[in-house]
Amino acid sequence: MAEASILEVRDLHTQFRTLDGIVRAVDGVSFHVGRGETLGIVGESGCGKSVTAMSILRLIPPETGRIAAGSIKFEGEELTTLSDEAMKRLRGHRISMIFQEPMTSLNPVLTVGTQIAENVVRHLNVPWSAARDRAREMLDLVRIADARRRLDEYPHQLSGGMRQRVMIAMALSCDPQVLIADEPTTALDVTIQAQILDLMIELKEKTGTAIVLITHDLGVVAETTERVVVMYAGRKVEEAPVEALFAEPLHPYTRGLMRAIPRLDVEADAAGTRPRLQEIPGLVPILTKPIIGCAFAPRCGFATDRCRSEAPPLVEGGTGHTVACWEVERLRASA
Amino acid sequence: MTSYIVRRLFATLPVMAVVALFVFFLLRFAPGDPAAIIAGDDATAESIAAVRAKLGLDRPMVEQFVVWVGQLLQGDMGVSIFSNLAVTRLIAQRLEPTVALTLSTLFVAVALAIPIGVVAAWKARKLVDRLAMAFAVLGFAMPTFVLAYILIYFFAVQWQLLPVQGYSPIREGFWPFVESLILPSVALGITYMALIARITRASMLEVLAQDYIRTANSKGLATDRVLLLHALKNAAVPIVTVIGIGIALLISGVVITETVFNIPGLGRLTVDAVLKRDYPVVQGLILVFAGAKVLVNLIIDISYAFLDPRIRY
Repeated sequence: MAEASILEVRDLHTQFRTLDGIVRAVDGVSFHVGRGETLGIVGESGCGKSVTAMSILRLIPPETGRIAAGSIKFEGEELTTLSDEAMKRLRGHRISMIFQEPMTSLNPVLTVGTQIAENVVRHLNVPWSAARDRAREMLDLVRIADARRRLDEYPHQLSGGMRQRVMIAMALSCDPQVLIADEPTTALDVTIQAQILDLMIELKEKTGTAIVLITHDLGVVAETTERVVVMYAGRKVEEAPVEALFAEPLHPYTRGLMRAIPRLDVEADAAGTRPRLQEIPGLVPILTKPIIGCAFAPRCGFATDRCRSEAPPLVEGGTGHTVACWEVERLRASA
Repeated sequence: MTSYIVRRLFATLPVMAVVALFVFFLLRFAPGDPAAIIAGDDATAESIAAVRAKLGLDRPMVEQFVVWVGQLLQGDMGVSIFSNLAVTRLIAQRLEPTVALTLSTLFVAVALAIPIGVVAAWKARKLVDRLAMAFAVLGFAMPTFVLAYILIYFFAVQWQLLPVQGYSPIREGFWPFVESLILPSVALGITYMALIARITRASMLEVLAQDYIRTANSKGLATDRVLLLHALKNAAVPIVTVIGIGIALLISGVVITETVFNIPGLGRLTVDAVLKRDYPVVQGLILVFAGAKVLVNLIIDISYAFLDPRIRY
């Protein structure tokens, strides 16, 4: 498995200096992405998913944050120590990224064509005319009708879904090996969400680009990913192939997330009401203080004194299924 | 766009009418009498009255105003009370130095301010930023005439690199023309540079925090492209607005600078005409300044549409 992986993150720690102290936004996360694989990273807001993504591309603002420890290897090359110039050559070329906010992620004063083509000019050393042809090709690929005309339009002339298509076209314009998608569909209508996800998966099949899909939406994960990493409070708490995770979630937090999804297959009672969704009690912990024990313990129904004093290691709980929980056996029994 | 420009040009007519009305009556209500100045210190009341009658200043004010506006509509601004020359001709003679000084000052200010502001925003809160902003505050705080004399002392008197004062028209050679403009433009431009640099920094800082800058960085674009194309173009509208406001400030600043550097421009003409209560000349000059200001505003407004595609007229 290790030979096949294109991106390998090991024991990543990313920290931010704030007035309240150092925030450990990512606190020892490891995972790998195989060639052409789709990996999902799931968790609530503030669990460190986006910071993990930004760390991979080294886009953490140096004034406030830094990668404090750990290793990020892309095709065997260490990224944490790479020069800024070499990192710039990599971004948008071999690893690219799309963001949550299609409405604000495109530059309002530059045409769509310019924004796609400049990426091609920068990384593939081709003249502008060729880059423009490539941009038109990319717009066709992401199924934007009348691509030639759209090239000369500005972002405000496009809908949210179209703008996200443009972002995808831009991100894929140099045939990257890895595409990091940070909540790519969160800001879109449900119908558009499905179109964008389908498009991403279809393009992945076509180009062989591996995708790291960051989301809080388990529905999106179930539909699109092959393997899932669940993060909580800057740590990885569970990792499994997607079928295994949905068949038997092993971490109490993952279970909590799944119970918070509305379901149609639960029988309604005589009055036509379905059982209330169960929220996870409590709040995500404050990350300025070092967390002793399991980060989820204060919100967990299974927590014991040991959970509160000693951090659980990640252990194999089945084929490719790892979990960081002391009470896995009790949890399994309760299912 | 064309219909917008035409509409805006028509809208300047009432503005100019109000300016004409104010300048005419304010001048006449202000203390001082050109007839008394012409008649001299020992003049009797009769001789002053005679001069006034000759100049037509004894007519009712409204009548004088109607006559003046009637001339204006035919493109005639009247005749100077003192030199007897046509006001339009006086202004035309003095126009070149002022326009040259205004444009060269603008050039100096913008050429310094934009790079300083961009670098300060890029290196925000670092040493370069603090130095740049200290320089800007100093420039803004220093009165133009003080800086002018300092510059003259070093560059003209001590090192003799540039002329002390005076103006060399462009038709008498390009280099003497440029040399005569360097010191006045720098003296006048520094204040103005400070203002633009501070706005550039503030506007750039806001833009650099936007999502699309993160996108540009995630594409691995070169720093200069991110700063000068992706960021600066978005930051341009407030900067251009301040440049426009600055042109109004420049017109008043030119009066002092022309005096210090002995440049025969509109500023000097204005000062002389006001001191002598040369009504027709002052009226003509104020109208020209007001017209220039209105025109600059129009150009600034039109430029927004080129800077930001979301703005359409």
